[in-house]
Amino acid sequence: MHGIFYDHIHDEIVVPVALGGAILTLPGDAAGDAPPKRVLQGPKTGISQPDTVFVDLEHDELIVESGDDAVLVFPRTAQGDVAPSRRIGGPNSGVSNIYGLATDSKRDCIIVANRVDGPGRASDDAILVFNRLDNGDPKPRTKIAGPHTGIIKIRQVFVDEERGLIYATIKNNFENYNVADPRPSPWDPNKTGFIGVWSIDDNGDVPPRAVIKGPATGLVWPAGVAINPKHQEIYAIDSVSNALFMFKMPEFFVKPPASPAAGAR
Amino acid sequence: MKRHIVFATAGLLLFSLSGGTPGEAPAEGTICPLPGTPAGFEARLLAIERENGCLDLDQGAEPASWPPGWDKATIAGGDVAPIRVVSDPYPTLHSVVVDSERNKVFMSDPNRHALWSYDRLAASKGREQVEPLTGIRGPSTGMMFVAAVTIDREAQEIYSVDNDIGDRLMVFPYDGSGNIKPKRVLEVPHQAWGISISDERNEFAVTVESSRQIVIYRKGAEGHEQPLRTIRGPKTGLGDPHGVFLDGKNNEIVVANHGNQGGREPAPGDAPPRQRGTRSAQPPPFVGGRFDEPSIATYNADAKGDVAALRRIQGARTGLNWPMSIDVDRNRNEIAVANNGDSSIRIFRRTDTGDVAPVRIIKGPRTGIVGPMGVAYDLKNEEIWVANYGDHTALVFPISASGNVAPKRILRNAPAGSPTVGFGNPGAVAYDSKRDEILVPN
Repeated sequence: MHGIFYDHIHDEIVVPVALGGAILTLPGDAAGDAPPKRVLQGPKTGISQPDTVFVDLEHDELIVESGDDAVLVFPRTAQGDVAPSRRIGGPNSGVSNIYGLATDSKRDCIIVANRVDGPGRASDDAILVFNRLDNGDPKPRTKIAGPHTGIIKIRQVFVDEERGLIYATIKNNFENYNVADPRPSPWDPNKTGFIGVWSIDDNGDVPPRAVIKGPATGLVWPAGVAINPKHQEIYAIDSVSNALFMFKMPEFFVKPPASPAAGAR
Repeated sequence: MKRHIVFATAGLLLFSLSGGTPGEAPAEGTICPLPGTPAGFEARLLAIERENGCLDLDQGAEPASWPPGWDKATIAGGDVAPIRVVSDPYPTLHSVVVDSERNKVFMSDPNRHALWSYDRLAASKGREQVEPLTGIRGPSTGMMFVAAVTIDREAQEIYSVDNDIGDRLMVFPYDGSGNIKPKRVLEVPHQAWGISISDERNEFAVTVESSRQIVIYRKGAEGHEQPLRTIRGPKTGLGDPHGVFLDGKNNEIVVANHGNQGGREPAPGDAPPRQRGTRSAQPPPFVGGRFDEPSIATYNADAKGDVAALRRIQGARTGLNWPMSIDVDRNRNEIAVANNGDSSIRIFRRTDTGDVAPVRIIKGPRTGIVGPMGVAYDLKNEEIWVANYGDHTALVFPISASGNVAPKRILRNAPAGSPTVGFGNPGAVAYDSKRDEILVPN
């Protein structure tokens, strides 16, 4: 599984099952071989191989990555084989492999961590922002992408609505492999991943406003990020280290970020 | 991939790496440091798996990775140390294979990206861990999220395959140890899991989870060599296949299926292979996902394309639940299944079909079986080996063991009682504010 959402209002855990083309909702206290409360699966759903999921608690909707280059929106309690109420996908949207989803109710939008696999380090990975009620093949209202962003192999995203910030996990590496290389590790240790923070109003090829990146962080391939607002902590799960890193949310994450010295924001 | 969520209470599990100095390169032929007594964890944990399980070699080169323009931008934060880390410094056992002629046993370790070998008779007398004979580990090995391991007894080679990261099969010399390059590398489909070599057929089979296929290669295949044949398609009933046994004696292939069926119908096995990173011009029909019951399916070893199984063990009486590795005892005509979902080893008759109960089950608190991933027969010594994913142990039972029985020997790769974190290529995280817990799906 490459996604998870904890619904604190209804005390439920929602997970995508990529290999079974399904979304499962479990009780918040589920343990062991516990059965799901709801299963969303079947040909009407359009769910093929979902990697990530999000619950918009404000609007009681379930946001699902289809596995087929689309964002699907269902009622939160949808189960069985039902069609989505809305779908975003198509060439105008630019939606491709989705590895992270979130919504911002204050700004009425859906945030998509979008992967476009290409050769080498060429990347058109992006953070796409759509209007929440978009349906069909719309263009995103903003797109954060380009070499200055450092977004290469984006994964899970987390949105802090209060501060208007997007936290994104960036693997920053590819699985290139050449056995003849002196050190044929399939990832380049000089290009370790990071947590990047952008304003939700950012647009274009802009650097992040804050990062957690570097040798001291321990991050190699961060794949997931979550915030503990009570204790002001940032959690990053790393899929190569097989480790969960916990950072104290620095003061600069709490205060409004400083204006950049250069570059369109 | 396992469908599994790890619940971690913040700060509960904190470990350290011992030995080695950051910046020191693991030399060719050396084993990357194994953990010692948990102490002074924070600073050294920063070095966890900088690269493939070894300490960082290139800290000085780190600035090169910063994207263009960042040096002139106002970016807060930077190289900040974590306040806590949850990680398992000890190997996590996946698959096991025994060489009774040379008295060695090999195990794969997806946690520390390694292959370990032990003396066949090595055992923990008490709570202590057993030192491995060899450990293949480090950046030169190219190993990523390793899954199965097996051995070519004739050629004296070790085979391992990458699962969700890596997409390759690596072959190492039999006595290889340390940070060594593989002898051969073969590109395999994404999400490969099981491997089985048939000396009789001079072939090996690899199972692939998401594309629901078995690919069969000639022994010695390397590079971008294509498989000799592929079993794949809706008639096969393959569903998230894991363990595999290529039986050259009975001319069959036996496969353990979890039963997961993705939303798109698997392409027929004679379709051209899809290159990684590309999209099919005409994707297979969308039929919607489903969960089939787990099964043990048997095919003709010469099968190719979209063919039905000869036999299928499936149904409530089987008790199959996340069947992982399998092995076949061709003397007794039995199949051993590492049944991860209920922490048991289930033995079926090789020719069973339908909804049948196992002939024996090894299960219960006395057995020490916890989330088994690997199982292997040692026919010469009439033993059965179990690799626990849920505990830092491998267990050895008499080949006819049944019920809630204690193992003959226990091989620990960590001091007894060391918790097993269970992370395996984790891909997301969430915070449960109600219970103050962190949720991590594998």
